[in-house]
Amino acid sequence: MGLMKWERTGPLDSLTHIQKEMSDLLDILSSTPPMEGYASMEFPPIIVSANEEHVFVRAELPGIKIADLDIQVVDDVLTIKGERKSVAVTAKATYLRRERNYGTFARSIMLPEKVDIETVSASYKNGVLLVKLPKAAEAKPKQVVIQKA
Amino acid sequence: METKEHPTVEKKKIASDKCVVTGKGEWYFPLSDIYETPDNFTILIDMPGVGTDNISIDLRDNELVINGEVSQEAYTDEKVVYNEYNIGHYHRHFVISDAINRDKIEAKISDGVLSLVLPKAEHVKPRKIEVKTE
Repeated sequence: MGLMKWERTGPLDSLTHIQKEMSDLLDILSSTPPMEGYASMEFPPIIVSANEEHVFVRAELPGIKIADLDIQVVDDVLTIKGERKSVAVTAKATYLRRERNYGTFARSIMLPEKVDIETVSASYKNGVLLVKLPKAAEAKPKQVVIQKA
Repeated sequence: METKEHPTVEKKKIASDKCVVTGKGEWYFPLSDIYETPDNFTILIDMPGVGTDNISIDLRDNELVINGEVSQEAYTDEKVVYNEYNIGHYHRHFVISDAINRDKIEAKISDGVLSLVLPKAEHVKPRKIEVKTE
């Protein structure tokens, strides 16, 4: 802070100063941090997309055995359950850095459309799970034929 | 009693400016674990979406540079309804010391997890010192 010219101040000057500080503080507190469209950050993070025929759910699940995954569809709710097991490290190993995390997880998501439960398929490649859910017949777009009266 | 852990998710961080950015897409900073055993160091890096063909690992001077690229071709005719993570390439680098035997670094990627095994050089491996009796 540089040198400031000393000015004779009245008793109310410091009060205005406090008032300004308080309103600045309120401004900071009331402005919500940007969410960038993330509704929640549950594990695993998912992307839901759709084309005319299918609904696709992708999830980033690196390093999981297929046997440790359990995927279920009930009505229009998809449930992904599983466990991310930590690598069996020998007793002599010491961790120098640990950023990845492990454990059990379960999450259910509401699908945007009705799906045909019988023909749901899932694949797992390079750590990304892809669940392909064919849309139910009533959810697919239908052409309406206009009849001439 | 065993307590169950639950994995958490953090928003992907953009890789620091040190990476060489080429082509399209963002570059992210992947999470990694490093552990040490008497014979080697192991680095595990989460790179979901990266296969054997789109990963490059370079050792330049003291720096181990890891780049993994993700293809987004599958999304051509799909409309994204809900999105929780960013798809992008991965970049991370580590500075390694003389304690690593550079000729014998091994890498493999499976299920989106890259594992790098860096064997220790002979001169830093633990050894037992015999006590001689006179």
